[in-house]
Amino acid sequence: MSVQPIIEIRNLSKRYKGSDEPALNDISLDIYPNEIFGLLGPNGAGKTTTISILCGLFKPTSGEVMIDGFRLKDQLDQIKQVIGVVPQDIALYPTLTALENLTFYGNMYGLKGKALHDQIMEKMKFFGLERFAKKKISTFSGGMKRRVNLIAGLLHSPKILFLDEPTAGIDVQSKIVILEFLHEINRKGTTIIYTSHYMEEAENLCSRVSILDRGRIVSTGNPKELVAEHPEFKNLENLFLALTGKDLRD
Amino acid sequence: MFRFFSAVRKEYLLLSRDIAGIIILFAMPMVLIVIMSLMQETGWNALAKEPKVNVLFVDNDHDSIGINMGNGLRNSGYFNVTDSVYGKPATVESARAAVKKGDYLIAVVVPEGVTKTLRGNVRIAVAKTLAGFGLINPRLVNSLAQRGADTITLFFDPTIKKAFKGAVVSSIKEFNYRSETGMIFRSFNQEIAKQFPDFKPPATDYRESLEFREVFPNYKEEEEVPTTVQHNVPAWAIFAMFFIIIPLTGSMIKEREEGSLSRLMSMPVSYIELLLAKVSVYFIVCLFQTLLMILSGIYILPLFQIPPLVIGNHLAAIIAMTIVTALAALGYGILVGSIANTHQQAAAFGAVSIIILAAIGGVWVPTYLMPRIMQHVAPVSPLNWGMTGFYNIFLRQAGIAAILPSVLKLFSFFLVSVLITYIYRKIKSPINN
Repeated sequence: MSVQPIIEIRNLSKRYKGSDEPALNDISLDIYPNEIFGLLGPNGAGKTTTISILCGLFKPTSGEVMIDGFRLKDQLDQIKQVIGVVPQDIALYPTLTALENLTFYGNMYGLKGKALHDQIMEKMKFFGLERFAKKKISTFSGGMKRRVNLIAGLLHSPKILFLDEPTAGIDVQSKIVILEFLHEINRKGTTIIYTSHYMEEAENLCSRVSILDRGRIVSTGNPKELVAEHPEFKNLENLFLALTGKDLRD
Repeated sequence: MFRFFSAVRKEYLLLSRDIAGIIILFAMPMVLIVIMSLMQETGWNALAKEPKVNVLFVDNDHDSIGINMGNGLRNSGYFNVTDSVYGKPATVESARAAVKKGDYLIAVVVPEGVTKTLRGNVRIAVAKTLAGFGLINPRLVNSLAQRGADTITLFFDPTIKKAFKGAVVSSIKEFNYRSETGMIFRSFNQEIAKQFPDFKPPATDYRESLEFREVFPNYKEEEEVPTTVQHNVPAWAIFAMFFIIIPLTGSMIKEREEGSLSRLMSMPVSYIELLLAKVSVYFIVCLFQTLLMILSGIYILPLFQIPPLVIGNHLAAIIAMTIVTALAALGYGILVGSIANTHQQAAAFGAVSIIILAAIGGVWVPTYLMPRIMQHVAPVSPLNWGMTGFYNIFLRQAGIAAILPSVLKLFSFFLVSVLITYIYRKIKSPINN
């Protein structure tokens, strides 16, 4: 591709204090605008660590990252303005209502007033949550919490959206709505970086994937092309198992 | 600032929906103030106000010595004087039996004829003095002989302290000396009047030239000793402020554990801004706590027959002490909330450490009632610094200048706590902020 990458990762490494093995070991990667990019890997492969570094939550041990033309090391404030994050945890306040949670997170992005309220209600309507806006999060089902968790990362219409296992542990209906929505915002120009354990989902959703194992990238490419390159594997999951092995991970 | 106020609103909503937290912050200290004041009222008065001692007075003299001594004991303000035992006039034997039984701590027996003996001896002494001036025939005087001293008997309960026994004996001697002095003057006047018919004795008896007056350092008419209320209201208000560690650390750690803090750290808002918002809400809670405790001391405690809290006239000093105590409590809460890994860890450590610091600092038992060694240990506790400051305001009517050492200590404690938290986060926290 001749297009300038929106995310450039160069020789990125991360070793946690007290850990023998690095969580990330010298990875380099380019992610282009308007991609839905999947970071796939077994437990402990380094997916969440990569996203956490890209969001500015963890400091890398070494390496360079550029996001939308800003250097992570010293331009984090600018980066925070263009990214949205949907963490794996339901990062919502259980005793606040959905509307209160979303208003607070919207405020943190500098959004306020009627514009924010309309934005929240529009998203809640899309996700079938409109009538639950004034209910406390503690009364929501797992799928409803996931949907609100997703909305909280989208209120400011970020240029780049990081999603850490957004469909983990939810019902099929919720999963379909979320994936449809991701396609929709991607069509409108949002670059999505996404982690998942669900290979079939990633194969259908992502324009490209990287398969990580033990802190290293073992393969990168369009999921269908990757499978095509290895005709002995009939789908991405089989290829994934061949690349990462069948050993249980911590 | 917009983000800050939004975070303040969020903290307020979270706290207002935390019923357990609200109970800990407001109901618990109010209940403690009432219960502790009620429990301590009787015992405290016994320790701080020294109640009157019951004295059984047996007056077999029925003359000026016995009468003056009885009146002196009654008017001293230290004794409840009675002259009957079990409804019957007291005798030497019944007084001894009553003290032995423990019904009375002290019995005083004035023997029969003690005034008569003293009066006779005084006359002889006066006559001898006047004979020296040639006013009375010396041969007549030399034939007079003084009688031996009579004995005033005292029975003491074995629990009476030696110092108190000494004070009682001194008081009785003083009453006796007054009677004796009066008799000497009157006797002189009478003898001189016999020799000089034109001599007119003064209309009044001799008055003492020295008087003693206790002036209280607060310039009030009565001495102000710390009552249960004057102690309990500031004590439990300070305790409640420091106990804010439980909901504060809970809020900090829950936010961390549930992932909200990580999400917030990926947003264009600083950790300091979020922490300040949290601290601001809890700071206002501390101010309300103190206001509520003071109001309950003034208006609720009297409903339980407990004297009301007297706050004095130094409102600025009260506000200053409340602010720095609240800051110290919040600083400690932030420190524990940042270092603890789990809510359980913070709650257990926070609660135990505050209870220990409260005990050391004189919240449970005032420092002036503690053994000497504990009085030396007490100043290590920040709660003691708060107690000292509030005591200065409520009991000594002190202003800002007098509470300055307490204010500086508490504010320094806040600054040191925040500094340690900052350094700890920089070193330990994986979060990039």
